[in-house]
Amino acid sequence: MEEVEGNQRSEDGRKAEENILQFMDSMDSYLTLLDSMSSTLRQGWLELASARHSMGASRVNSALFDLKLHSAVTTLQVAEQDGESPLADPMVKQSHFTLCKWASPNGGKCCSEEIEDGDKLQKKSPQLRHRGLSQFSELQEKLVASSGAPLIVEDQVQKERSKSLSVFGTLVSPKLRGAQFSFETALVTLVEIANMRSLMLSAFAQVRQEMEGRKE
Amino acid sequence: MANGAQIPSKSSALIAMIADEDTITGFLLAGVGNVDLRRKTNYLIVDSICLIYFVEGSKSISPCNLANTEPVPRLDDRVHPTQTKLKPKDFVNETGPIYSTHIGFYPSIVMLRSVTWNGTAKETTVKAIEDAFKEFTTKEDIAIVLISQYVANMIRFLVDSYNKPVPAILEIPSKDHPYDPTHDSVLSRVKYLFSAESVASGRR
Repeated sequence: MEEVEGNQRSEDGRKAEENILQFMDSMDSYLTLLDSMSSTLRQGWLELASARHSMGASRVNSALFDLKLHSAVTTLQVAEQDGESPLADPMVKQSHFTLCKWASPNGGKCCSEEIEDGDKLQKKSPQLRHRGLSQFSELQEKLVASSGAPLIVEDQVQKERSKSLSVFGTLVSPKLRGAQFSFETALVTLVEIANMRSLMLSAFAQVRQEMEGRKE
Repeated sequence: MANGAQIPSKSSALIAMIADEDTITGFLLAGVGNVDLRRKTNYLIVDSICLIYFVEGSKSISPCNLANTEPVPRLDDRVHPTQTKLKPKDFVNETGPIYSTHIGFYPSIVMLRSVTWNGTAKETTVKAIEDAFKEFTTKEDIAIVLISQYVANMIRFLVDSYNKPVPAILEIPSKDHPYDPTHDSVLSRVKYLFSAESVASGRR
């Protein structure tokens, strides 16, 4: 009987230590990701300011935002995880966020994985201008050769990207495209931050409950 | 943590934003913008510009509270600002065309000269920010709310008292206000674990 109790106590102690470690790790990752996001945002603001300088302030401002009915093409999917026993603190519930970039508003599947390769290729040559499909054919061929991803997904992503840019006119500065990439990258980091936040708060809630349980 | 059963995921959820114009512009370029049937957007642009009104022909002005700007100067007749037409939707009341004058010495301030109309000016008030925050955090189709940290500081009591896991509130830096971890609501909540009181109470 005493042995069973002893085993239980050591199991509880191990679990408590795991929670503390998880909390510390998640907090460290949270701060690191925030730092990374800050520098990505700074890059984006700089590119936006450069675009405004080259295109003119009247062509890059909030007065041009489209206020007609339209759905977001970059969305999230949320999955909630329940623990083994439901706890009173809502923060113990962990949520997992998944980013869906440039998904078709007509109900196409989330295409974040397929476009990642395209992003990597495009980032290598950020100065390319979008002048129609012909200039992208080389990129598309590389994409198919490297990953086997369908061309249709890449075309759709480029179409959605161009649509976002078209709010500011037909011909836009390469800096504005650069800003678009930077903010896309920042979005990816933000979703990671959201997941880390969820993990951190969940671990914190468990550690706090264990501490309060010990006091009693 | 990985032992829990997964609840099936919700349908696509949105990212809401309460931030300055450049940050909102950038994220809208990334495809985050949404406008619903009631013409409601998933973002609020927090202006640091103050619009001031005065009666046509008058030289005196009534400055309103400015956020993050210097005190408003008196209108000087010797200044010849450029004129640009603003959209009527920018103002509370509208009975005619509105023209703005842009003072060259203070580019962050827009002075209004009403031609056929005297109206009140509008800026992003704390109340508007609070309302937007409450609206975004109660909507079921929003999963993340991005808020500039300097804006969150204006409604700090509201942000700190928020304790739901979804939507997640993420405080982000802005151009003029870098991120400060001491003000982050999430880190403030967990720093309790590192405080002297919690360590002392644990040792008793």
